[in-house]
Amino acid sequence: MNIVVVGAGPGGYVAALKAAQLGAMVTVVERSEVGGTCLNRGCIPTKSLVASAEALAKARRLGEFGIDASGDFRPNIASILDRKNKIVETQRKGIRALFKNAGITLIEGRACLQGPRTIRVDKPDGSQISLGADRIILATGSRPAALPLFPFDSEIILSSDDAVDLKELSSSFIIIGAGVIGCEFACILREFGCEVTILEALPRALSTEDAEIAEILEKEFRKKKIKLLTGVVVESVSRKETGVAVTLKGDKEIVAEKLLVSVGRALNTEGLGVETLGVAVGPRGQIAVNEKMETTIPGIYAIGDVTGGMLLAHVASKQGMIAASNACGVDALMDYRVVPAGIFTLPEIGSVGLREHQVKNQGIPYRIGRFAVRGLGKAHAIGEISGLMKVLAHAETDALLGVHIIGPHATDLIHEGAAAMQAGMTARALAAMIHAHPTLAEGVMEAAEDVHGAAIHNPEKS
Amino acid sequence: MNPDDLKYHKEHAWARLSGKKVTMGITDYAQEALGDIVYIDLPETDTHVEAGTEMSEIESTKTSSPVIAPVSGTIVDVNDKLADNPEIINEDPYGKGWIAVIEIDAPAELDELMDGADYERHIEEDK
Repeated sequence: MNIVVVGAGPGGYVAALKAAQLGAMVTVVERSEVGGTCLNRGCIPTKSLVASAEALAKARRLGEFGIDASGDFRPNIASILDRKNKIVETQRKGIRALFKNAGITLIEGRACLQGPRTIRVDKPDGSQISLGADRIILATGSRPAALPLFPFDSEIILSSDDAVDLKELSSSFIIIGAGVIGCEFACILREFGCEVTILEALPRALSTEDAEIAEILEKEFRKKKIKLLTGVVVESVSRKETGVAVTLKGDKEIVAEKLLVSVGRALNTEGLGVETLGVAVGPRGQIAVNEKMETTIPGIYAIGDVTGGMLLAHVASKQGMIAASNACGVDALMDYRVVPAGIFTLPEIGSVGLREHQVKNQGIPYRIGRFAVRGLGKAHAIGEISGLMKVLAHAETDALLGVHIIGPHATDLIHEGAAAMQAGMTARALAAMIHAHPTLAEGVMEAAEDVHGAAIHNPEKS
Repeated sequence: MNPDDLKYHKEHAWARLSGKKVTMGITDYAQEALGDIVYIDLPETDTHVEAGTEMSEIESTKTSSPVIAPVSGTIVDVNDKLADNPEIINEDPYGKGWIAVIEIDAPAELDELMDGADYERHIEEDK
């Protein structure tokens, strides 16, 4: 079996490794660096920046922890980016080593489908090669979406790709879009000392998250003096000598040195040759796939962001394994019932399963359990008391419907909820498990207990 | 302990009338019950509040709790000092720890509030 994977992001590289594991001859075509958006411009770079932001925040609070320290703690953006770049390069080397060990061939270039079993690769030196394949896995990913009103210029009007490589820390930023990316950058930039104003067209930040969790994040924004304007319509953007001015409907003008546009992702379908081949593609350019991750043309699979769906690295990786298995003749189906997700704001957010508004809209009878992070001894010990743990359970069967956490280490803690949901546990069963003290995970137990009003340490009914 | 020149709402807010304006805050009992206050989500001026409903939120190291408006009206001033030093509420709930000034819709509303002695009895029952 000869398989060509197009794209070496978290979808493509995992698909390649899985296919190699199953005995296929694998070639990966990547136009840039291995690791895709996730490693080069997304997950890992931003988490490196968040870690620097958190270190700075902690340094400024050393006195609270009884540490005598004097001096002014300041971010050095050049050093912060050096650290980030080293981390990214280490991970890239890791992927290249995995490819080498698995006998995977990596070709640099742009791929274009010529037929259901043929791919042309345009290499950086201008030469072309043609690859034959028994199976093809498309994993070309996505890129920051620009709005026609304000195209990126990488100087004043930035995409998230630009924002992970800031040459300098400007004193003020406007961020358009209070989704995951906008909110994460707002926290990073604010911690680095920048004035931040977020503009959001929808009524609240993180519109797809649980409303109660998003509300707490909005409150944390107020504490940090991050300005969030919701329900606003951007009418125009103009370059000024000092930066940029954004005019909102109603003639309100906001100025800043830089503008970060984070209004979603555009899918990398064009130039891939899918349309000419007759692969079904949706209106946003998303390649249609079935549960086996196969497109409308047998033998051609698509995974990750380019398929639309949930634009999450770990979903792409799982889809990659499913596609590789099917391509190698091992039947496997994609299952989206339990997909944990993390948002690396300060504090973090972790979520799995249904949000409360989704439960309501689906007409499912439900109960809510809540526990405030400030009710945990461990939270006080580490000096991070803001946040909430929330468990949604079916009112009749007690099955877990969703778990939502905002607070310290929420993106790790959420996996207890995810494991419990994957195992089909009830809220009572989750609450019955002994949780180690003193930990933040005790909050998950208390929230599960609170589903039945039985939290031991709940100081109040919220 | 609770000043006699103030009026009290059963949800532990106080009100001091001066002309058409009411300065308000939370009571000593409330700050004691909350413990160390670490944050107050200050209301915005020009917003309208209804007596008996949430107008702000206070977070202490123990809990978070709504601040209930003692009267209905429009917020004309807020105590910005609390943004960076919310502990002032613990230190001086009836003085420097005031939260907002409300231009009252109907001064007669004040008659529905308790005096110091009634409020003292109310919190005894609450305990």
